[in-house]
Amino acid sequence: MLGVATGAVAHPHVWATVRSEILIGPDNKITGVRHAWTFDEFYTAMAIQGLDADGDGIYSKEELDPLAKVNVESLKEFAYFTFVRVTGDDKFLPLDPPEDYSVDYDDPVITLHFTLPLKTPLDPAAKGVTIEVYDPSFFVAFGFAKERAVKIAGPADSCTAKLDVPDPESAEEAKALSEAFFSQLGPGSDFGSQFAQTVMVTCAPQ
Amino acid sequence: MAALTAMLVPMVAAQTSPPSAFGTPQDRQAAPPAFRPPPAAVAPSAAPLRARGPFGAVLSWVAQTQYKMQRRLATAVKGLKQGNALGAGLILAGLSFAYGIVHAAGPGHGKAIISSYVIANEETVRRGILISFLAAGFQGLTAVALVGVMLIVLNATGFQVNAWVKQLETVSYGLVFLVGFYLLVTALIRLWRRQARDEAAHSHAHHHHDHDHENCEACGHIVDARDIAGAVSWRKLLAVVVSVGIRPCSGAVLVLIFALTQGLFWAGVAATFAMAFGTAITVAVLATLALGSRELALKLGGGNTRWVDAVWTTCAIGGALLVMTLGLLMFTASLGPARPF
Repeated sequence: MLGVATGAVAHPHVWATVRSEILIGPDNKITGVRHAWTFDEFYTAMAIQGLDADGDGIYSKEELDPLAKVNVESLKEFAYFTFVRVTGDDKFLPLDPPEDYSVDYDDPVITLHFTLPLKTPLDPAAKGVTIEVYDPSFFVAFGFAKERAVKIAGPADSCTAKLDVPDPESAEEAKALSEAFFSQLGPGSDFGSQFAQTVMVTCAPQ
Repeated sequence: MAALTAMLVPMVAAQTSPPSAFGTPQDRQAAPPAFRPPPAAVAPSAAPLRARGPFGAVLSWVAQTQYKMQRRLATAVKGLKQGNALGAGLILAGLSFAYGIVHAAGPGHGKAIISSYVIANEETVRRGILISFLAAGFQGLTAVALVGVMLIVLNATGFQVNAWVKQLETVSYGLVFLVGFYLLVTALIRLWRRQARDEAAHSHAHHHHDHDHENCEACGHIVDARDIAGAVSWRKLLAVVVSVGIRPCSGAVLVLIFALTQGLFWAGVAATFAMAFGTAITVAVLATLALGSRELALKLGGGNTRWVDAVWTTCAIGGALLVMTLGLLMFTASLGPARPF
């Protein structure tokens, strides 16, 4: 459904820089992810156009809240562009609707903040957890920030989050993914997954 | 393309001052460090996008180039407000043109539809190019009209414009499907008529003239065969131009809105048409290639009329089916949920 709905476009129109916090609860389980997505200037211009209702040139919280609401609500159909699974598993873990969402405007770009809770908190100690952020249709190009892209939020000192960026030169990766690539060329393509950047969360057993 | 980008890079780079002991111009004008916002408030920049897979290196290059070009477009638009308007304007036009070429290299923009349409019809290379340019020009015009009317006249929000873009996409793909359906029906009617006429001619020949069958095979079939594809008509040509062009390119809409927020709508309009020109070139090249393949296929038969018949029939019906299928697939896809961004 997701692929078919978005398959016609395979070049990015919107660019988002991702910073994510991995939320760890008191029992050392991952409870969710808090995203901060900073958009490019072009998308920003479109998104805030007409929202400065009182015309004072300042985009207040009240003026930007409807934007945040529209954004996070329509994200549901696109699986929040966030794909969480136990490392090595094929199945994505279900996510609850976003909480604590807001948009802030820091001329010239806006940043969307929201928390994405895992339906069931997950203990990463055994196998680790893999989190990917990407748009399968590649209409939005998500890329993690150069600096401070991921961090662990919570009491777990034993956990680390590592960013794994695709390496075009890696022959091994190329071989493993070539079959997947050719099955993706249809209209229901998953083109964007080739650009997916992965966060690997690992925790030492308690 | 790469050469053009390479040419433009130093032009943009040349505008920044050389390094100085007192820091960059921004640093010199900025407030002392103590008054600056904490580093967390500085907009983060993304690491370059990289792709996996067998074409990872190429895909990475295309994605990174598009990103850099979009950033430079933003810089060029802003540059128009400060000082050297002519230089910035030239850079803007060049960048938009190059962006159009690269942008159209991805799916969409009616490349497949126009290519299929020209092979399905008795179209010459010249007309293929004309259709590509008319469709791209119309697409640019739709974008300018949509953004101009909604934002300047109606004072709408960017999201309302986006909603309209989505509606127009649905309309466009629906029309593309109808154009394909019309092409198929006319091709089938012509094919059926020709067969009926041939049968009549054959029975006529056998009864009255004791006609040599071989000779009859050759009589005027090439002209008849081209009939299946249909004669050139402005109405049909406009139908394909409108069906493709009524959908504004999201890239152009974004550039227009950005230019408008900078108080430089005219620059956005110029950029849109420069972009449309680039898009038209890519589409025209592909349509020409499609026509070239058909010519090649026709020649492969070495003048055999049956072969020529078969190629024309295949092109007319296959091309029509392709236009229909593309229209239907994209129409269905466009009915999906609204994008958050």
